[in-house]
Amino acid sequence: MLSRLFYRARACKGETEVEKDKTCGDARRAELFADLAAAVDGMDEQGAVAAAHAVVEEGIDAYEAITGGLSKGMQTVSDKYETGVYFVPEILLCADAMYAAMDVLKPHIKARGGGGGTAVVIGVIEGDIHDIGKNIVKLMLEAAGFRIHDLGNDVPVGAFVEKAREIGSGIIAVSTLMSTTMPGMGRLIESLASAGLREDFQVMIGGGPVSASFAEKIGADAHGANAMEAVRIAAAWEEARV
Amino acid sequence: MKDEMTPRERMSAFLAGKEIDRPPCVPLILNHAARVIGEKISRFARDPAVMGAANVAAWRRYGQDLITIFTDTAVLAEAMGTQLYFPEDDVSRFKSPAVAEPEDLDRLEPPDPRSAARLGVLLEAVRRCVDEVGDEVFVSVCIPAPFSTAAAVRGTATLARDLYKHRDLARAIIDRAMVLTQGFCEAVHEAGGIPALVDPVASGSVISRKAFEEFALPGIRRIFDTVRGLGWPAILHICGRTSGIIDLMADSGAAVLSIDQITLSEAREKVGERVCLMGNVRPTETLLEGAPETVRAEALQCLEDAAGSPAGFILASGCEVPIETPPHNIDALMAAAREWRA
Repeated sequence: MLSRLFYRARACKGETEVEKDKTCGDARRAELFADLAAAVDGMDEQGAVAAAHAVVEEGIDAYEAITGGLSKGMQTVSDKYETGVYFVPEILLCADAMYAAMDVLKPHIKARGGGGGTAVVIGVIEGDIHDIGKNIVKLMLEAAGFRIHDLGNDVPVGAFVEKAREIGSGIIAVSTLMSTTMPGMGRLIESLASAGLREDFQVMIGGGPVSASFAEKIGADAHGANAMEAVRIAAAWEEARV
Repeated sequence: MKDEMTPRERMSAFLAGKEIDRPPCVPLILNHAARVIGEKISRFARDPAVMGAANVAAWRRYGQDLITIFTDTAVLAEAMGTQLYFPEDDVSRFKSPAVAEPEDLDRLEPPDPRSAARLGVLLEAVRRCVDEVGDEVFVSVCIPAPFSTAAAVRGTATLARDLYKHRDLARAIIDRAMVLTQGFCEAVHEAGGIPALVDPVASGSVISRKAFEEFALPGIRRIFDTVRGLGWPAILHICGRTSGIIDLMADSGAAVLSIDQITLSEAREKVGERVCLMGNVRPTETLLEGAPETVRAEALQCLEDAAGSPAGFILASGCEVPIETPPHNIDALMAAAREWRA
């Protein structure tokens, strides 16, 4: 249900692109975007790379190829994951295809004045190296247009705070798969407060052992039960900021 | 309410379909056992004396109906060559895979199921528990099933990709894991323990029903042939979501299914005629974070939903009792089983 709302929000953002498509009459561009989306959804790394090269060679805007092609493909993947059609192996292979195409497109993205998405600092809390979940969330957020600062895994509380201070405001997404490392999440909230940064960041937590009640207990702003929910929460926060 | 039977008497009678004094209750006390004797997890995970003493002490403290020896799902993979590291007070972490490149598989020597890596530690812990309290309670070892072992031999994400990209390699690794698992089940039996299987990576939260059927189920089936041949009931624990695969889990030859994120009503409806169900008080929300009264309420609800299940029901936690669970919450779970009268 929420996913539908989110999808609609994304579709609205994409409308200007659709408009441009019409005015330019560039059916080829729409075709390539559809190819990118299909290759991502189809776990087809070679197809995704081929379509990305075509985008570059034909002088089509790389950023729009990401938002209108790759991101749409990942949205389909997310929907399939949420409805139990795709599972972790499928997500990983779709992600591989997306990243391979992204690598081709990235050098060709033109700088956009002030347009970028909200900054998200993401990482696995200190004491845990399980980062598949974090990487999936990162991928989804990236596809949804957020600016990601990935601190990796086994990240000390201090490193989150330092990065937060550097970027000033945004979202912090922190995960763990191990119950023993959960207290680190509480310490992160406290450290943000004592650094005077708590008001500038919304914090979401995720991963196997954590729960909405735990989020509430430590004073985090939200618990993302899965990657899709994490993206929905971040999108809602972003919208509230604008 | 006082118990009239010892846990061993109760489980024997229960599994034989005879009358028992109260529903069996098996909170999955695994690494939490270390806390009962104030030990660090890394010592518990590697020292047979500590692992044995902790499990004995935890049983004396809680009186659960089965001792469940376990520390991580990588023990068999470690025996096959996966490198782990051990944080001082947490469970082992994956460092590097036994099979990084496909050709690494051919270089692996078949490990000795009685001594490779920490397998001897687990077996010695079983013997210590059996020696000390074995006349009052059965001692089981939660052994990673071949698919989960393969994930730790290869790295979970890599194996996940192999399911599409290197299917033969995935099968070959799972087969190797299967052979070692069979040998280890026999070794556990010789030590006086019950071999039980855990397959977290085969969860419906991770792989599809199709992948479960193709890559996880065949290995589980073959191990259960071995387990039944040794005279033990086949016990299968798969945590996370299992709605989409619970019928296949029952097809595995399991006598007991330990389940986590699925309602007992649904499980009972789908497979309750065929297998004994075990579960599923929520580990984090309820046991770790809840109050004893919350634990009691949820446990009684589990019993309400499943105590009358045709092939039987064992009250349990959905997955491992979190390491830092307050002891009084585990007491509350045990007390709920004693309180219940069908």
